[in-house]
Amino acid sequence: MPRSRRFFNAQNKRELLLPTLFLAPALAVLLALSIYPLIYSVTISLQQESAAGITWGVGNFTRLFSDNFFWTAMGHTFVYAAAALTCEFLLGLGLALLLNNQSRGRGFFRASLLVPMMLPTVVVGVVWRLMLNPNFGAVNGTFKQLGIDTESLTWTASPKLAMLSVIAVDVWQWTPFVFLVLLAGLQAIPQEPYEAALIDGSSRWQTFWHVTLPLLKPSILIVLLLRTMDLLRVFDQIFILTEGGPGFATETISLYIYRAAFRFFDFGYAAAMSFVLLALTNIISATYIRLLQGRNA
Amino acid sequence: MRILLLTLLILLAVTCTVSCTGQPSRKQLTVAVISGAEGEALKQAARDYEAHTGTHIEIAEFPYANLFEKELIDLKSHTGAYDLIMLDDPWFPRFANENVLTELTSLLQKRGQSGPDSDFIEASLNVCRHPFQTGALYALPYVGNSQLFFYRKDLFEKYSLKAPATWDDVLAAVKTIHEKETKGANGSKVYGYVMRAAQGNAAVADFMPIFWAFGGEMFDANGKPAVNSPEGIAALEFMVELGKYSPPGYASFNADEVGAHLLQGTAAMSINWPVWISPFSDPSRSKVVGRMEFTTLPGAKKPGQAEIGNWLIAIPRYSKNAEAAMDFLLWTTAPEQMKVSTRRGNPPTRRSLFKDAELVAKNPAYPAQLRSLESSRPRPRTPYWNEIENAFGIFLSKANSGELSPAEAMNQANAEIEKILQRAK
Repeated sequence: MPRSRRFFNAQNKRELLLPTLFLAPALAVLLALSIYPLIYSVTISLQQESAAGITWGVGNFTRLFSDNFFWTAMGHTFVYAAAALTCEFLLGLGLALLLNNQSRGRGFFRASLLVPMMLPTVVVGVVWRLMLNPNFGAVNGTFKQLGIDTESLTWTASPKLAMLSVIAVDVWQWTPFVFLVLLAGLQAIPQEPYEAALIDGSSRWQTFWHVTLPLLKPSILIVLLLRTMDLLRVFDQIFILTEGGPGFATETISLYIYRAAFRFFDFGYAAAMSFVLLALTNIISATYIRLLQGRNA
Repeated sequence: MRILLLTLLILLAVTCTVSCTGQPSRKQLTVAVISGAEGEALKQAARDYEAHTGTHIEIAEFPYANLFEKELIDLKSHTGAYDLIMLDDPWFPRFANENVLTELTSLLQKRGQSGPDSDFIEASLNVCRHPFQTGALYALPYVGNSQLFFYRKDLFEKYSLKAPATWDDVLAAVKTIHEKETKGANGSKVYGYVMRAAQGNAAVADFMPIFWAFGGEMFDANGKPAVNSPEGIAALEFMVELGKYSPPGYASFNADEVGAHLLQGTAAMSINWPVWISPFSDPSRSKVVGRMEFTTLPGAKKPGQAEIGNWLIAIPRYSKNAEAAMDFLLWTTAPEQMKVSTRRGNPPTRRSLFKDAELVAKNPAYPAQLRSLESSRPRPRTPYWNEIENAFGIFLSKANSGELSPAEAMNQANAEIEKILQRAK
């Protein structure tokens, strides 16, 4: 109590004025662009519009349970995220380990590996859509030159290959990011633990498992967190590559949310789905942090 | 408290500057147009009108994917940012149902006209009325698109095939060409047929004429969905059969892929829209110059009917310049100006222009287009069309990619459409 009284005394007020003044524009922008829309989206997620008018309630959330499209899209999102994350992580880690020790030509490799990551995802989508075109595309063109029958390789048009195709494109684009972060992590590990391991007679595998991996944990955590969040909300590449097709084969939850909001004009339902996605993303992220940091923290 | 006041003051200052600079001058109209050929003609018409009358016309241009959302968001929030909007006709029931458009007959009456003049094609005016055909007028038709059947007349002559009057004729011709034309225009195979079967708008548009010809109806007499009727399933089976003679991957094709196959001479037949007619006479784009014929859609149980796909122009209810907007709308849809628009590549919505000798000489497909448009059918008129089309298109695409049998696809589609209608109640 006395402390807070002192906090609000006259002198303090004067001292507080200037910082507050400087903070005000930023706060105003934050309020207008972040807090207000958040509150607004909560309210519309609780509204259902029909011919009879607007009804308040959790109708949008209960509707999720009976919506086959929603569950299928959720399933696709998780398949997509799990597959892409696994490939990107293993490939990225492999590349980082490979290039960590090699000193000659490292700059060149590092720079050339970064190109896909620098491209806007929309550009990546368009380029790959053209390359994967079954009739005129470069991929099937190359296969044809090699004498492979491409009649059934309709990539983005086949329900079996379409998911594989969109995952492959994501792996192509984002493995470099995983590689970059893990390489930075590897470079930051001091030499001493390795020397100690060498003296103790540890094998290469044991060194990797007991020295490198534990010391790389913070970088792994960052990479997994960022990639998971990105993968769960994937939109642009898939929208350009397949627009969720053929049929519904590559429709992810973000695409479905987009459709509900801007094609069907059902903002309440779209907001409800977005909150479910947000909750799931939070749970997964929290699990990572607990698993990977739990013992240290 | 003082901080709060200060923040409010700053916000007030910001909003004031924004709104003060946004003040419109006296004679100004804002038009939302589609980017592409259809909108281009209206943009140029706006420039001409400006030179003619001195009314400044602001253009807001959006691609097809965004136009619907931009317009509906604005109209529903009553900002009155647009004085005129271009609408694709399947969107019209949604806009009319939301009650965000200006009723036009009263504006016409103020100008001494009792209604839209009788030169407009009936089918085009019908989609401007809410309820369909019988209701009040909320838009005027600007671009008279309706589907046509495209086929390679040289190949039909070569194998003495019957002109495609029915879908049976089509299938017979498709099979013959598919078997015999293994070395086509550029040495590659000619597929008998090609279609858009990507989910959504594309698959539905290429299916509806088959569905209707086979006797299918999306809704029965009581308004219940009925796409899984025996006729509906037979129609989808027929579409999948045609798919066997289409290029691989057609289940994800959209307009560009279909156009490319036809122009390259690697596919012989298709349902397509008038905008694709002119590229066939351009040697830089087409390998089949002078060999493509355009006709009305084949029939089956019922006479063939094309899907209508007109672009309409409407005046939002909250436009502050409705009368000035009406003046521009009437000017640009009048015969003289619409004739200018046809030179910019848009099919008209007036009978007199389809029959205009000068235009017919330049557009030999006009008689077929007129027949197609006059006998055309709109997509089911419901405010929930976007949602229904999305669900229906997913299952059509699934049947074409082999994921579901036609019967399963139609049953599931019917259940989804039922759900959408239930929710709307």
